[in-house]
Amino acid sequence: MLARRIKPVALQARKIYVKLMMEVVGRSLQAISDLDPSIREETRVLPDGFLFEMTVMPHGPALVMQKLPKGRLRYCGEKGPEAADLSIRFKHIAHAFRVLSFQEKTSEAFAYDRMLVDGDIGYALRMTRVLNRLEAFILPKLLAERAVKEYPGNLGLSEKLLQAARIYLQVASQFLATVKLA
Amino acid sequence: MNTRYYEFFCPVKVIAGQAALEHIPFELSSRAASRPMIITDKGVRGAGLLEPVISACEESDQEIVAIYDDVPPDSSTDVVRAIAAIYRQEKCDSIIAIGGGSAIDTAKAVNILVSEGGDDIAAYAGAGVLKRPLKPFFVLPTTAGTGSEVTSVAVIADTRKQVKLPYSSPFLLPDVAVIDPRMTLTLPPHITAATAMDAMTHATEAFTCLQKNPLSDAYAAAAVRKISDNLLKVMDNPKDSEGRLELAQASTMAGIAFSNSMVGLVHSLGHSVGALCHLPHGVCMSLLLPYVLEFNLERIREPLGELLLHLAGPDVYALTPKAQRAEESIATIRKLRDELHKRCNLPRTLKETGKVEESQLDRIAEMALDDGSIMFNPREVSLADARAVLQNAWG
Ligand SMILES: [Fe+2]
Repeated sequence: MLARRIKPVALQARKIYVKLMMEVVGRSLQAISDLDPSIREETRVLPDGFLFEMTVMPHGPALVMQKLPKGRLRYCGEKGPEAADLSIRFKHIAHAFRVLSFQEKTSEAFAYDRMLVDGDIGYALRMTRVLNRLEAFILPKLLAERAVKEYPGNLGLSEKLLQAARIYLQVASQFLATVKLA
Repeated sequence: MNTRYYEFFCPVKVIAGQAALEHIPFELSSRAASRPMIITDKGVRGAGLLEPVISACEESDQEIVAIYDDVPPDSSTDVVRAIAAIYRQEKCDSIIAIGGGSAIDTAKAVNILVSEGGDDIAAYAGAGVLKRPLKPFFVLPTTAGTGSEVTSVAVIADTRKQVKLPYSSPFLLPDVAVIDPRMTLTLPPHITAATAMDAMTHATEAFTCLQKNPLSDAYAAAAVRKISDNLLKVMDNPKDSEGRLELAQASTMAGIAFSNSMVGLVHSLGHSVGALCHLPHGVCMSLLLPYVLEFNLERIREPLGELLLHLAGPDVYALTPKAQRAEESIATIRKLRDELHKRCNLPRTLKETGKVEESQLDRIAEMALDDGSIMFNPREVSLADARAVLQNAWG
């Protein structure tokens, strides 16, 4: 609680940034799962109705995705209709911030024990590959290379969609600049 | 590859060397345990490995209350329940596991049931379910390879539901690991080679994958050196008790390394080959290791080059230009495999195993992508990548 008195604005801003980025990721995932066959290839094997959650301990923010038929994903917002089947939990908001502001790759965050996985590890790996691919889509190439282990060569998505996703991201990155200033 | 953050944890008391078994009674009494149960398999009993343990205890008036010697190679929830029932009936208060991976994993699961109560071992599956310490737990590894005596995980098959239940908790770590050269002295050449190459793979992957850190590096490098220095010596002279002890320690050190810096693609592929083609784990490790290192090469050039010092010794290291050390490390591992092939026919390719069909490679690759260890591989692995590595390893 002491920290809050010292740097209240920065900490507050970080939380809002993570919350915003969770929404960006959720909405982009839904959009891209409609259009990208490689992502559906990964998600197809999940049972229909499957709930995936990415959250921050202890009280969020969070994002919940539901798997629809044919590998499509639906963004459910911060809370799903039921308890998640697979949950990836950041141990601290600071760790979520590092990943969502692209200072740390998802695979690094796993390697550094920043996150806990609750659920089937094979499914968790699939969702991580989906998230990696998403990052490659919505981020400018330079940033994406920092965020994922390998930048895929075969993205081939319509520019239109990319633009849409990047608009979300722009909002977020402007915000990120504010956070860093704070 | 700079690790910006790491965690390292190993609270296991290692008692190692000559007459280590004779320390068991004291270590039991210092944990207020007086009624130990031994959990082992028929192979261990048949090899006469129980006698020195039992006599070391009896000489010190330490009674062994119960012995379960029927752990199968692929243990199951039924076996765990049966052993827990004996433990309770005999009012035991501690567990001594003697054997390889299966006996040790089984004992870990039994320890959950007898400490937490109940009969439903599936209820404790997953990560971090256990919240408090279990009963005093000793492990005596009899194969110098798995490193299970210092790991916090176990896998038990639920034969009725046809699933493998994973367990992960710091409380699964044994209290004491006993490394006595008598325990591995009679290990047949083929198993000695395969399990040592498993340990070699643990160390090499811990040293080159994403979780590598200064503490795990120290254990991994020392393990590679001990295996490189002693494996062929022991193959040529199986009664070399000192060499056996070195290999057993290397296995424990490699276990400490990889339980703090997770293994990568050799294990993801190896687990799948093992499961689909029924090959021993160590054999899969030995045959896949160089092909995966080649796949990862550009990402691991620096640490793999450093390993040359421990694989081939200071002379070779000094004579090899820095830019070629990583390749030389792979060549050294290949040479070691050739020597092992000469001595005990340890397969170097999937084809040489005689148990893998080329048509199975697609399925193996698919399955490997679902293995948790793939997350820690330094290079991203696509289905096509995994398939290509397998093709190289085919022969
Ligand atoms: Fe292994």
